[in-house]
Amino acid sequence: MKVLSKTKLEAALNKLSESNEVFVPMQKKAQSGYYPWTSFVSGDEIMLEALNVYQSPKGAVLPQTEKMYQIKQGGMEIKIDKTFEDDHPTIIFGARGCDVKGILAMDEVFLTRGYEDSFYKARRSANTIIANACYEPGSNCFCNAMEVNAVDPAGADVILRDAGEAFVWEVKTEKGEAVTAIIADLLEEKEVQLPQSKPFNQKVDYSGVAEKLKTMFDHPLWDKLSASCINCGMCTFVCPSCYCFDIQVKMWGEEGYRFRAWDSCMFEEYSREAGGGNPRGASKERFRQRFLHKLEFFTERYGTPLCTGCGRCMIVCPTDVNIVRIIDAVKEAEVNA
Amino acid sequence: MSIATNQEWKPKIIVFTCNWCTYAGADMAGFNHFEYPADVRIIRTPCSGRFDPIWVMRALNRGADGVLLSGCHPGDCHYGTGNYYNRRRQTIMKNMMQFMGIEPERFQTSWISGSEANKFQAVMIKLVDDIRRVGPNRKLRDAR
Amino acid sequence: MKEITSKLQEIATRLFNEGKIDVFLAWEKGEQEFQTKSYIAHSVDDVKNIIFNEYSIYNVSNALLKLRDGHEKIGIAVKGCDSRGVVRLLEDLQITRDRLYIIGIPCPGLKDPLAAARSFGGLGKKESDQGLAKKCLECIQPNPVIYDELVGPEQTPRQQGDRFAQVREIEQMSADERYKFWEDTLSTCIRCYACRQVCVACDCRTCIFDEMKPQWVGRETNTTDNMMYHLVKHAHMAGRCIECGECERVCPVGIPLMLLNRKLIKDVGELFGGTEAGLQYTEGAKPALSVFKENDPDNFQ
Repeated sequence: MKVLSKTKLEAALNKLSESNEVFVPMQKKAQSGYYPWTSFVSGDEIMLEALNVYQSPKGAVLPQTEKMYQIKQGGMEIKIDKTFEDDHPTIIFGARGCDVKGILAMDEVFLTRGYEDSFYKARRSANTIIANACYEPGSNCFCNAMEVNAVDPAGADVILRDAGEAFVWEVKTEKGEAVTAIIADLLEEKEVQLPQSKPFNQKVDYSGVAEKLKTMFDHPLWDKLSASCINCGMCTFVCPSCYCFDIQVKMWGEEGYRFRAWDSCMFEEYSREAGGGNPRGASKERFRQRFLHKLEFFTERYGTPLCTGCGRCMIVCPTDVNIVRIIDAVKEAEVNA
Repeated sequence: MSIATNQEWKPKIIVFTCNWCTYAGADMAGFNHFEYPADVRIIRTPCSGRFDPIWVMRALNRGADGVLLSGCHPGDCHYGTGNYYNRRRQTIMKNMMQFMGIEPERFQTSWISGSEANKFQAVMIKLVDDIRRVGPNRKLRDAR
Repeated sequence: MKEITSKLQEIATRLFNEGKIDVFLAWEKGEQEFQTKSYIAHSVDDVKNIIFNEYSIYNVSNALLKLRDGHEKIGIAVKGCDSRGVVRLLEDLQITRDRLYIIGIPCPGLKDPLAAARSFGGLGKKESDQGLAKKCLECIQPNPVIYDELVGPEQTPRQQGDRFAQVREIEQMSADERYKFWEDTLSTCIRCYACRQVCVACDCRTCIFDEMKPQWVGRETNTTDNMMYHLVKHAHMAGRCIECGECERVCPVGIPLMLLNRKLIKDVGELFGGTEAGLQYTEGAKPALSVFKENDPDNFQ
């Protein structure tokens, strides 16, 4: 099998960075997330051996802020004189199965069903995913219940397997071949022992939840579950599959640009309409919307849940809202037929 | 810094005035043909109690090089007490913005009454002078 | 802690039975041993879920904001910092005193569940072991400042040394150095608005950052928009921040928000005197920037 020795990791990242923007999971002081390899400074740490990092790699294909097009206004005429579709090559290096699934879910949203988001498409077609197979689930992980194969993540172009002294480098697709060719001279042929998969710490049973949720829109359960939620939006920012955005304009005089920025269904003004009305004005309604989206609407529309079982929301929530307990509560709830 | 002395650069300075004192003072300065630099743009509000620190930040954000807030002297507010609130608020905000690294010359405050046309002229001249000295503002500028 | 839990449950049961309250706000156990969350008990049957343990750090007065428009009578368990939050809401006329029955708990200092969750959850680097939360080590008022009943022995403040030491350090820097410091620190902000949501003093019905017409601060996460957001938010905190430290605790990227708040507390104290925000409740009292004295400091031209 092909392996990349860990002593050669930095050399490989440097080589790849010559022709790609390589996003690597890093700890930068108090923050951890996927940052460009070129931004690594002394004091930072590569986190490929940790379970995961705070922020997901979705920023590589759906950045937090991206310019869309430039506008010039002249009297009654509006001219769009530049669009910012960005297809510079990127690599997400070391994404776990849960994070890869998040990107695949976004592919369904932005590239299928008749409309292709040209900004997303440009970034995604130039993006290569090098996944990091996961053998030791964390205490909050439940990706196995959400249709994610942590050891063999679908959609990856290359899969890394941490075998102690080296990573096994398993090519899966043509894109993977292309990236492998860049660092071919740093790879070795070697037989190594693959790690053993450890069992999950929490048992989550998602079966039947989507169907049951279809009948539970007005269930009193949501009042109790949403009582502690303060709609801060942290869950949506760290979630690998949350993709809600807002499009706004920045003008000065007659020139300006349109840009897209992450927004959150947790914020009151997200669903505010032009006339001032708001279908989700109450905190409970927004809370319910988030979990229905993750566990029911997406499954209904695309056949797979939007929640990928990474467990990040459960760690960052200041009031301890827990999606696993919500799934359990839904399963136990009594529903009047 | 060459840009500051370069005659090409014209500072953009916003002056917020209260309607009853400073604006009247500005009017009187104009009436008496007291000359002051044309780089200041005056925005009239009913009272200095209306002055919102976010205007200062937004002005710097959107291209201004300096901002002056000016109202009636304490004790002479047309509405009685508006300028007292303004005084507390702006004192705190000036400190806050300096703490964030904005030069003190860029956010100035004054009291100019309706009859103080000379003072208005003097304050404007000094203001433009101060801003010319510190140069074009680069801080808090929005991304273009 | 166990005695305080049983006392709280006892008092809540009595209040429910006597019809003195409709809801009781406190804490309940979370999903893992280090997670304690805010809890609303609606009846005597819910009382058994109420606890007070070493992770009950969440500021319960924030939950009062959800109930401000109702008429229910509210029992609430508060620590020192939480009680200052209650005073904040009373001063801001967001809730009336007659609706509240306050149980005060002098606080011995607690641990941070979010720090424990990060270590336990495996995200990022493992943090060194949990002592008291940072905000508890800087506490100047662990004893409740407003209460109807007090549960537990009086506690001593834990703040050591100069509270404003870091503020003074920054004040010594040059303007450009200061700007660089804040630029670097605030450029990491991801604009999740958790600091705003968890803050008791942020009690506007429509927040200025949610206004679209006009939009005061842009939504992009570039450095200037981030700096504008923090400048404006803290401008609204001047004279009102109760120093509970929740904003800094919940920030996912570790921005030193209390540094900005302490600068304002120091300035308001030095310039205008008076008691600090929320340290005592006098009916009709107003925050420092809503009052004035004729001889206030005046450095205007």
